[in-house]
Amino acid sequence: MSEVEFRDAIKQALDEELARDDSVIFFGEDVAKPGGVFAVTGGLQETHGESRVFDTPIAELAMAGAAFGAAITGLRPVLEIMFGDFLALAMDSLVNQSAKYWYISNEQASVPLVVRSAVGAGGRFGAIHSQTPIAWFHGVPGLKIVAPSTPGDAKALLKSAIRDDNPVLFFEHKRLYSTKGEEGPETLPLGAANVVREGTDLTLVTAMVGVHDALKAAGTVEQDVEIIDLRTIRPLDLETIKASVAKTNRLLVVEEGPSTGGWSNGVLAQVTEHAIEDLDDAWRLTTGDAPIPYSPSLEDAFLPGAEAIAASITERIR
Amino acid sequence: MTVTMPRLSDSMQEGTIVRWLKRSGETVAPGDVLAEIETDKATMEYEAESDGVLEIVAAEGATVAVGELIARLGAGRVRATPVARRLARELGTDLASITPTGRRGQVMKHDVLAAVNGAPTPPPRDAAAATPLTATQRTIAIRMAKSRASVPDFDLEVEIDMTACLALRKQVEAPPSINDFVIKACAVALREHPRVNGAFAADGFAIHDEVNVGIAVATDDALLVPVIRDADKRTIRDIAAASRELAKRARERRIEPRDLEHATFTVSNLGMFGVTRFTAVIDEPQAAILAVGAVQDRVIARDGRPTVAPMLTATLAADHRIVYGADAARFLGHVRDLLQNPVRMLL
Repeated sequence: MSEVEFRDAIKQALDEELARDDSVIFFGEDVAKPGGVFAVTGGLQETHGESRVFDTPIAELAMAGAAFGAAITGLRPVLEIMFGDFLALAMDSLVNQSAKYWYISNEQASVPLVVRSAVGAGGRFGAIHSQTPIAWFHGVPGLKIVAPSTPGDAKALLKSAIRDDNPVLFFEHKRLYSTKGEEGPETLPLGAANVVREGTDLTLVTAMVGVHDALKAAGTVEQDVEIIDLRTIRPLDLETIKASVAKTNRLLVVEEGPSTGGWSNGVLAQVTEHAIEDLDDAWRLTTGDAPIPYSPSLEDAFLPGAEAIAASITERIR
Repeated sequence: MTVTMPRLSDSMQEGTIVRWLKRSGETVAPGDVLAEIETDKATMEYEAESDGVLEIVAAEGATVAVGELIARLGAGRVRATPVARRLARELGTDLASITPTGRRGQVMKHDVLAAVNGAPTPPPRDAAAATPLTATQRTIAIRMAKSRASVPDFDLEVEIDMTACLALRKQVEAPPSINDFVIKACAVALREHPRVNGAFAADGFAIHDEVNVGIAVATDDALLVPVIRDADKRTIRDIAAASRELAKRARERRIEPRDLEHATFTVSNLGMFGVTRFTAVIDEPQAAILAVGAVQDRVIARDGRPTVAPMLTATLAADHRIVYGADAARFLGHVRDLLQNPVRMLL
């Protein structure tokens, strides 16, 4: 099977969905003519035309409002927010409008909206271009949150997100864009995790770059680690995690994000609440409760990379 | 609240938990017997000194130095992970009896499974494999080796005509054993020969006021030496009753340390096995030990003619640092004289 780069997988998904469904449109800052700051979306405007793929001013709330309006009037907009950090500006449209519309309209209209956004640290982008703001949206009913780890998954999940009738936040980790992987299926269900490595001693739950770091760490420790790639943070595939924990009796959740309020807390809480009698131990590995450092050495030390994961496992399991 | 290995006798260095009489998790009160502990001398009951919920640390069979932790008395909750608790409940296993391996001392799931599935697989059977020593066996080994290594002992032997003793036995109901006569004879003679009843020490001879005769008793896979205190002052019938009771308690492992302490001399008798003569190892710091063989009809010369008499061979091993050849000979002669003329020790 041929390999594909993560950024190309994203573009293929957009390209194929734009081609498959006339109601799909795609817009954002520098996405059309410049082809995206991470070189993901080049050529889409040429293929699908300026009315369906276009650049916008630097005005995230206006963009999100436009996307919401388009979604409730018959289109299936895909909006790119260049850096996840900028989602703070689009918050009201996403949290108060898009996420509530199905309920407020008495289920008369849904909001088939996708927001793509580049997230994650390790790229020397500093404190306000490096965050992974999943936690900002994690507690909002009505939003789905997708966080793929491989090109194949990214393509299939983005297609599913576009075809989903509800607002979906689709997070792309910057450090994954240049990674390569096998092509995946046409689509993947939202809310289904993937056991990427089977093991007996520990269930390690993570997403995005964390999956690759976990695989690396698993190769260096004595313990036989089972790794679950969540693929979607919300809805959470609790059943897959519980089934794994029933076997390993230990749970480690690795999240690139602050310890306080992180999505990993929810995973730990759910497993503890529903499967405590399967647990020997359960803990999290996150970043500290601090802004992401700009200094390269500090930024590297700040992240829960492969070495930190291996050290955590070794320290915790004897 | 920690419970440590108690010092149950003066010479005790370590003890073996023979049996716990309370289970982990049980609430105990002061005075409750917690365990049976085998010391170098006896198996003793050990009582709780305070109340609390028992958490056993040293397993049955474990040998633990005096002062080391054997149990805890506490508020009672055993540290265990949730899955370990569930498994223990489902499998009917007592969590407190399981050795924890968790990083904070908590019982983990695999600890429960290991406990339920039994101890690690034992090594293959091997005739040369060591059988662990009991505390008593270890004590015997140390003391015998030390005696042989440090005591310059020498042996003397006498043949004793037991005709009079046997005649005396026939005249009484429930007659004392031959050994009881020997004990009494030794005790009376020891009073007259204080160095044989003494002990050598670098700074001088210890001469004891009491004559306390130890009697070697074979028990199941060990040897115990209960002591008849003040044997010189007691009647043979009294010695017989005491030795019978002490031997019984020793074989049943019910003997107490005070019954095993302060011997000043020892009598070892293998006559019941048909042994004619043997030599014994001195039990330091005692000065001597008498090895007693069987009473056997032998042909002896009497008044220039051969005759048959019930004879007993007694071999004295003495510590030459305190008992010299002539001392030993006089003592042994005295013992022979008393046994050949038992009326002298009855008066």
